[in-house]
Amino acid sequence: MDVLGFYPMWYVPVVGSGLVIAIIAAIHVMASHTSVGASILLAYLATKAYRENQPQIYDYIKKYLLGLLVFSYVSGSITGPGIWFSATVVNPRGISALIHNFVWVWAAEWIWFVAEVTLVYILFYTLGKIDQRSWLRLAWIFALGSWATMYMIVGILSFMLSPGHEKWFTTGNILDAFYNKNYFPHLLERTSYMFAIAGTVGLAIAALMKKDLPEKVYKDIVKTLSYWGIGGVVFGLMFFAWYVSTLPERSHVIIEGVVPLYLKLPIMLIILVVLAHFVLAAVRPQAVRFWMAYPIYALIFFAGVYPEEKIRETIRKPYVAGEFLWVNQIISRDVPAKGIKSEVPVIDQKGLLTVNPFVPEGLKKINSQNEIMAGKAIAILQCSGCHNVTGSTGLRPFGQKFAGMTDPNAVYGFLTSYLRDNHPPYMPKLVGTDEEIKALSAYIAHMISKGGSVSAKIEVTNTPSEAKKEVQP
Amino acid sequence: MKDMVRWFLLFILSFMLIGGKLAFAGDVGTMLKAMADPAGAPFFPVVMQVLQVLTWMLHMIFVYTSIGGLFFTIYGFTKKEERWQRLAKATLELAKVSVSLAIVLGVAPLLFYQVIYDPLWYTSANLSAWWYVLFIVFLLIGYYFIWGAYFTKDKPSMSMIMSVIGVLFLLLVGFIIHVVNYQALYPEKWVEWYTNGGRAMNASGWNIYAFNVFRYLAFLVFPSVAVTGVFLMLYNWYFRSREDMDKDYLDWAGKLGARSAMYAGIGWLVSHILYIFTIPADWGVKGSIFTWLSVLGLVLCAGVVFSSQKNPAKMAIPSLLAGSVALLLIAVFREYLRVASTARFGYSIYSYKLNLEFMSPLLFLGTLLTGLVLYAYAWWMAYQAGKTPKGKVYEASETEHHLGDLSVFIVVLWAIVFIGVGLIVVVRNYG
Repeated sequence: MDVLGFYPMWYVPVVGSGLVIAIIAAIHVMASHTSVGASILLAYLATKAYRENQPQIYDYIKKYLLGLLVFSYVSGSITGPGIWFSATVVNPRGISALIHNFVWVWAAEWIWFVAEVTLVYILFYTLGKIDQRSWLRLAWIFALGSWATMYMIVGILSFMLSPGHEKWFTTGNILDAFYNKNYFPHLLERTSYMFAIAGTVGLAIAALMKKDLPEKVYKDIVKTLSYWGIGGVVFGLMFFAWYVSTLPERSHVIIEGVVPLYLKLPIMLIILVVLAHFVLAAVRPQAVRFWMAYPIYALIFFAGVYPEEKIRETIRKPYVAGEFLWVNQIISRDVPAKGIKSEVPVIDQKGLLTVNPFVPEGLKKINSQNEIMAGKAIAILQCSGCHNVTGSTGLRPFGQKFAGMTDPNAVYGFLTSYLRDNHPPYMPKLVGTDEEIKALSAYIAHMISKGGSVSAKIEVTNTPSEAKKEVQP
Repeated sequence: MKDMVRWFLLFILSFMLIGGKLAFAGDVGTMLKAMADPAGAPFFPVVMQVLQVLTWMLHMIFVYTSIGGLFFTIYGFTKKEERWQRLAKATLELAKVSVSLAIVLGVAPLLFYQVIYDPLWYTSANLSAWWYVLFIVFLLIGYYFIWGAYFTKDKPSMSMIMSVIGVLFLLLVGFIIHVVNYQALYPEKWVEWYTNGGRAMNASGWNIYAFNVFRYLAFLVFPSVAVTGVFLMLYNWYFRSREDMDKDYLDWAGKLGARSAMYAGIGWLVSHILYIFTIPADWGVKGSIFTWLSVLGLVLCAGVVFSSQKNPAKMAIPSLLAGSVALLLIAVFREYLRVASTARFGYSIYSYKLNLEFMSPLLFLGTLLTGLVLYAYAWWMAYQAGKTPKGKVYEASETEHHLGDLSVFIVVLWAIVFIGVGLIVVVRNYG
């Protein structure tokens, strides 16, 4: 029995299963950057309150902490594992590759994660109940611990894009994988922007408390947040430039040729809006309004974080981890240090349907009766990570990509010359036996002739025992 | 331990040979081995296994107090008496914090589990993919309802409705994770389930294939009430020394906790035994020592709780210890089920491919030690703050200030080492 370690495939028609990760990940990034940025800002403000004897600042801190607990910690701590959960079903082999390389890094992050969550509650409940010096210490531990979670995850995210160095494939050394070329600019960029994000929501909270705080305290808080915010944006832009310079060549090609303008432009615009807002707040603290600050915070999500996450996911292609595992979960190259072998030769020789244990026996041997269904199965297994393979709308749909191609031979010519023999840098090579590529061509031509949209169901006509007989020589 | 597992495997395999099931087991076994990640485990699987068991136990304590806390809240809000109303608010507070802790502590067992049982987890999750994703959505909704209940706690009827919705979502979330864990135990059925017996490919992710009501009751519902009962005993014990607290109320809450722990403990024991009887005979579970130790743990715990009825405050810590031992034995039993199930197909985590490395375990160990110092400091300060009467401020002693300084120092040191190592590696590789 020739079996490769594929899992049951989950297919979400139209939007694609990847969108599920994208939404959850964007919410998490927003919540986590808010909370990590806020942890440092609040520790700084608490130090100011202690040193300058301004106890009213604690009222502001308490309100901000409650906001963090209700919004950032609930949504952030659930969507964090949520990314992992969704990755488990969207790309099980991708997340498995990361976990098997970085389990201890994640376990170390977990130590900080526990510290972060317990400390936010402890800080909230003990404010005013323990002496200021002790509380301040806890606040700084909370700040450093929160930031430490970012130290960890950034290394793994950077490895997903690229190990950065050929060396890792032969050493397998975790330090080479984790502290890759991309690590520091990535960490510093996120660190900078998190102050801008936390500062913006901080201004919204300050605006709500304007009447409850003495004018001097209010101004002090707003100015502090604004200076940190301006610094965050300026340094964020600098580190972003450094980050881009460390990207692999294929990512530059993707940014220039594949990433649409409607994802790039909003990011630049929101950065300008956030910067202008901070400058205004620093110059005229009294002008800060909740109805202005909070929508800007929400806009950061829609115009900044979501497009940024989408772009980050896109520039990683055709890989999902460490430049050895494609986005369609096929191992594309050897990693000698880990004893990992490319699966491409086996699949090209035996067939993708044959080696996948979750393909029904009745589809493993292709004949004129099951050709369309076999082709659809191949499309779902190999292409649905990035395409809607059963319709004409949504995620890079086959219905549009192959519009007008109702002749299986024409589709076959395109698939073999453009995707198998000379595939673009952002797409995996099309793999499988020639018979399978013909079945895929037949399916695509069939769906186009049906108006570019067919059911996502895969059904097998012959019984499993008949199929077994056919498969066996 | 390794030898024991080998002998056990041999026994199961010979049993299968007699039953004529070897060919079938071979197919499933090949599939399981192929699914194990080719990168291998970065450390000894037995360590992952032990950490998984221990952290699962910690996670479950707070799962139980989340659900159990809400049960008490809901019941308390239906009563007019002032003490019930007060208790309802206290257990709501417990549930609110517990959900956070359950989430954060739940990460670790799943992490270690996925290193050594990746074929089980990823397959089962993908069989019911939409449900698995909805776990997150339902948890988010449920948790916001619990916060809603907290913010409306002075309007009992509104707060109760929100608590009911909150607990229903938590039970639903528990149901989903139960299904995924349960399906994972039956690798021989996965292909049949996914392909409708060879007739289709169920790629929609909307299917649920297996559920065991006794397991669900034994692992989630009954323990929630029992463990929260023990927490109420601890509540009595902890606040007794605070002069501004009502002693009669605390004693009543402690006795209520002890009584609830006893009755729910009986339900826990019965459902646990019933679940054991539903496990297929070819797993060889019913005669295993791990199985009967888990039963014994529950019986012993029930005994301690039974003897706590008269003076719950005095017996709070012994009950906590007995409950922890019982839960640990259940965690071991739960893990043993995986070993027994997969051994039928020749899959053993002890022979998982090993790509041993020491740098990242060292990072974990260093971070763990750092964490333990700061946890000790932070939780101690929280403990002292909780003991301080309302309106007063706890002044830390010199020793506590020293511990605080040490915590800050060690966290800063950790960060310096972490970044320093990174800089050295980057300069060496790219400089």
